[in-house]
Amino acid sequence: MDEARKDEDQRLVARTQEGDAGAFDDLVVKYTPRLYGLVYNMTSNHEDTNDLLQDIFAKAYKAIRGFRGKSSFYTWIHSIAVNMTLNFLKKRGRRYSLSLDDVDASIQNDKEFLEATASSSPVREADLSELQKRLNEAMMKLSDEHRAVVTMFHIQGMPHAEISKILNVSEGTVRSRLFYANRQLQNYLDEFRKNPVS
Amino acid sequence: MDEFNDNEITKLLRLKKYEQPPPGYFDNFLHEFHRRQRNELLRQPLWRICIDRTRDFVLSFNLGTLTSYPVAVTAVLMCAAILTLRIYQTPQPAAVASNDRPVLAVPANVEEEWTLASPVATRVFSTRSLRNMTESAQTHRKGTPPRYVLDSVPVSYETTFKF
Repeated sequence: MDEARKDEDQRLVARTQEGDAGAFDDLVVKYTPRLYGLVYNMTSNHEDTNDLLQDIFAKAYKAIRGFRGKSSFYTWIHSIAVNMTLNFLKKRGRRYSLSLDDVDASIQNDKEFLEATASSSPVREADLSELQKRLNEAMMKLSDEHRAVVTMFHIQGMPHAEISKILNVSEGTVRSRLFYANRQLQNYLDEFRKNPVS
Repeated sequence: MDEFNDNEITKLLRLKKYEQPPPGYFDNFLHEFHRRQRNELLRQPLWRICIDRTRDFVLSFNLGTLTSYPVAVTAVLMCAAILTLRIYQTPQPAAVASNDRPVLAVPANVEEEWTLASPVATRVFSTRSLRNMTESAQTHRKGTPPRYVLDSVPVSYETTFKF
């Protein structure tokens, strides 16, 4: 599955490098949903995410002639996305806006969601919308680098090795950031559980 | 005491993948991408567009095949360099039979010492003017016979009536 994805990406990249713009369109369509999730969970703002995604693909299109395939296209495009988002967040500072209206309404009927909420007693006690809001707030309290790692590992399900390649740091650094971020999230959500109205 | 453990936090965070953009967003994203690319292209100055087009045109050739002719490329460059050097090179004065002749040691006051009796080979052609302004103003040099200057008034052949 992973190898098939790489082969397909390589073919599309090669065609793009030969001047076939349609091949790059295929890459855009393929990677937009995944990169949207990555950028959105780092920025927590739909408009910022949209602008960033456009810039990310524009930059990738300009740079793809220089892509030599030392890493996979998947790693390469994720590196561009993470670095551009981190730069954007540095410029934006701590200003952020939670856009929970963007959450799909069908989430509360999703089987995985129901299982997850039913199996956790603190979650069961809390209002789901409120809990999601608190979770987003807790995420935004993390540093940009920690939030990037949490997003890639917990939300997108990437392995440590892939994250280390994307961020160009060691796997130990990835694990350390994850550990620290988990502690912070845990503390914040525990506080919410003890004082749900605060 | 119930507390959020790592597993529960992981489950909660996994739920965030269900946060989706407005319906139809992904369908329109590619159109929006093309529109922005066109707008950006139109905002670029003409010279930038020309450079980009030229670069794309050059890169459209397989540059790898050109590397099989490095000798030809090098030869062309060397020929161009040699021609350029020959065109702009200043010609050196020809030293004719310089080995056969004795080296002439010319004293600084050669002008005073040079006479008509001197051999031709000893004549030195200096770029310095032979006489300066003060010398020109003198009618003759020291040690040379006086030089007579004829009157510049033209000779009149009319008979004079003065007696």
